[in-house]
Amino acid sequence: MEVADVTKFLAETTPFDQLDGAALGQLSAHINVYYYQAQDSVKINTDRLLIVRTGIFTLYSDQQQLLTKLQSGDFYGYQQLLTGLTDSDTLICEEDGLVYWLAAEAFHQCRYQYKNIDIFFQRLFSRRLHQYREQQQASRFTLKISDIVQQRKIAIRPEQTAQDAAKLMSDSRVSSLLVEENSKLVGILTDRDLRSRVLAHALPASTQVSQVMTRQPQSIDRHAYLYEAVQQMSQHNIHHLPVTDQGVCCGMLTATDIIRSQQDHPVYLIGEIHRQLSTDGLERCSQQIAALAITLSKQQVPAYEAGHIITTITDALTQRLIYLAQQKLGEPPCVFSWLAFGSQARMDQSLNADQDNALLLEKEPVGIVGDYFSALAEFVCQGLAQCGITLCPGNIMASNPELRLSLKGWSGRFARWIATPTPDALLKASIFFDLRVIEGSKGLFNALQEDILQRTTEAPLFLYHLAQAALQRTAPLGFFKNFILEQDGKHKKGLDLKKRGISLITDLVRVYALYAGIHEVNTRGRLQQLAAQGIIDSKDSQNLNDAFDLLAQLRWEKHQHDLQLSHDVTNLLNPAEISGLARHQLKDSFAVINEAQSRVKQRFCREL
Amino acid sequence: MFGWLLRKRTAFSEVVNHFINTPFPPSSTPVDQANFLALDLELTGLNPRKDHIVSIGWVPVRGQEVVLSEAKHYLINSPVSVGQSAVYHGLHDHQLKNAADLAEILTELLAQYAGYIFVAHHSRLDEQCLRFACQRCFGKAPRFRFIDTMQMEWQRLLRQGKVVKHDALKLPNCLKRHGLPDMANHQALEDAYSSALLLLSQLKLGGNTMTLSDLYLLSR
Repeated sequence: MEVADVTKFLAETTPFDQLDGAALGQLSAHINVYYYQAQDSVKINTDRLLIVRTGIFTLYSDQQQLLTKLQSGDFYGYQQLLTGLTDSDTLICEEDGLVYWLAAEAFHQCRYQYKNIDIFFQRLFSRRLHQYREQQQASRFTLKISDIVQQRKIAIRPEQTAQDAAKLMSDSRVSSLLVEENSKLVGILTDRDLRSRVLAHALPASTQVSQVMTRQPQSIDRHAYLYEAVQQMSQHNIHHLPVTDQGVCCGMLTATDIIRSQQDHPVYLIGEIHRQLSTDGLERCSQQIAALAITLSKQQVPAYEAGHIITTITDALTQRLIYLAQQKLGEPPCVFSWLAFGSQARMDQSLNADQDNALLLEKEPVGIVGDYFSALAEFVCQGLAQCGITLCPGNIMASNPELRLSLKGWSGRFARWIATPTPDALLKASIFFDLRVIEGSKGLFNALQEDILQRTTEAPLFLYHLAQAALQRTAPLGFFKNFILEQDGKHKKGLDLKKRGISLITDLVRVYALYAGIHEVNTRGRLQQLAAQGIIDSKDSQNLNDAFDLLAQLRWEKHQHDLQLSHDVTNLLNPAEISGLARHQLKDSFAVINEAQSRVKQRFCREL
Repeated sequence: MFGWLLRKRTAFSEVVNHFINTPFPPSSTPVDQANFLALDLELTGLNPRKDHIVSIGWVPVRGQEVVLSEAKHYLINSPVSVGQSAVYHGLHDHQLKNAADLAEILTELLAQYAGYIFVAHHSRLDEQCLRFACQRCFGKAPRFRFIDTMQMEWQRLLRQGKVVKHDALKLPNCLKRHGLPDMANHQALEDAYSSALLLLSQLKLGGNTMTLSDLYLLSR
């Protein structure tokens, strides 16, 4: 028999509000009511659904971080009910209140019977995953001048000439100078002053700085807040503010500095990369990648977009290094294409990617051509390594002479792989079939790609072996009973998201793409085209795409986690650390991979 | 389940004996380990000797959790008209025509909740009525252990040095004071449930070290 107060409350509480009176009565019969007093800690791992009736309950993470407050109509415990995993959160009663404990059986019964209720709790769960992620963004409002201004003082004396000033500005790549006399700030000079006060008035280059500078400039203390600087600049309509430290001038803050500080955007990093004049400068830029990655993740940029951005940065570093190499080595003796393989080619690079690159040359790499590109490749590969993109352990790098070939050389190599495939060779070679041009001639690259695709579409034996290679590893379907864990060098165990997931999909999709002669190398792009051309069912394509996104997302989050804890970034996921929903989704994804593998087997691995 | 009890009228007294022979937990038992049964009766009047039970509602509290799966509400076949009492409990004679037999319901109560501490708001009336009803049905009545949430509330307020007004001890006002949900309506089960909630709150306020004997003292 039902207690009216309980059923009435349930009837007003989403998602139970969609149940009819009889169902509500049944549900309420499986409820126990408990009264908590402030400071009581709620036993949460009880395998029941907690429904807050009155009072306020605060949820803390195992690091004692406040996650959320639960009030009338809020739930807890669905995580464990949905996944069977216990939580390490603590729930503390903050304001006396009643909770309803709904028995697990009734909860599940309700979910099975009413799809909408099931969906509601699943959504609640996935929302929770996003919601509770740390949000400790360094607020724009609390940035200080010292956080963004460079500790670099570029000063000139008042008796020096306008020409000296112009030269110093160009050499230091700045647009303004501090004018100092006996270490005391007496004025500032901007490139605009040189234009409007010197050139426009036809003054000679020998004009003294003291005649054209702005005297007694505004200045700001380096411990001031950034918004104070913004205010001061707009108030006086100026773009340059000398920065002082205890009254002594220590640098210059420009409007551009402020704008840049407000833009945690990869565009700025890429712009920065293209301004660097040395490998050391590029290394400094690359040190910002980790911070950028954290920003991206805070802004909830999905993993595939983040992968795209990280790849673009690697591309920019590569391009700039090639430029710098040419500055050092002179003009190249012939046309070339700098190629990337693997994840960089596929635009799904992660933070721990290593180098996979090569050179495609117009001429045979002998004599000066050979020497030049050997030096160029060495410079670029070492430079990338210095920027944190580690040298390829398998030596798939342009610095390896075997990977600096002419079009004829590459064409011959691909032809061999395709015409006389051996499983072992293909296992190693499959990475070469995802290739993209990063710098240099596109025409040269296109010729190679056409050549490759023409061969692969007509090579059933090659596709047979490539498929066999793709099927060698399987997704850990038994994940939930017996963890299949790989060990990394440091004896940490975990589920390898790349080897056991992402790569499996990449490999499968590659087989189809080479079969269909698709130029696209990005896995998502390949899947789209495969579906568009009717090569694979659009539903299968979508499923694989979803599984791929999910695994990439988990890996991206894992990397974020590693970064924040200053660990080495690895692909090994500790099963104890993943949320229940992720576990559900992983299981689904593995099933999708398994199915797709068996389709590839049927299609490409029948008796020839 | 209680078929054996109902077969013969003489067997009714068996259930009373069963209740009598089931010991109550020792008074040193901590309150969170005791089993309670919150219950409420609706009557045709306020005189336990003359008036009759028209409905009964109960819900057990075990481990300080109100167990709704055992919440019960029965309308009782009354030998007399509900008369003017309908104004309070809203039950009319025609609704009670197909109601349950009092002996049957008392049998269920005694058989299932032997050894339980009964809880009611203003328990004296309920206790007396139950005893008279048992007497009438079975020829003898067991001794109940009752605690009274109203009495406990009174003691609590007195200790705080408050002047207790006449209305302050009524169940709805107690609920309000404890920040508990309002009663949906005046009905035996709702009242029993509300007094169960009130008990939970009172137990918490009393601290975690209370024993049954503390409760007996408080509800005296």
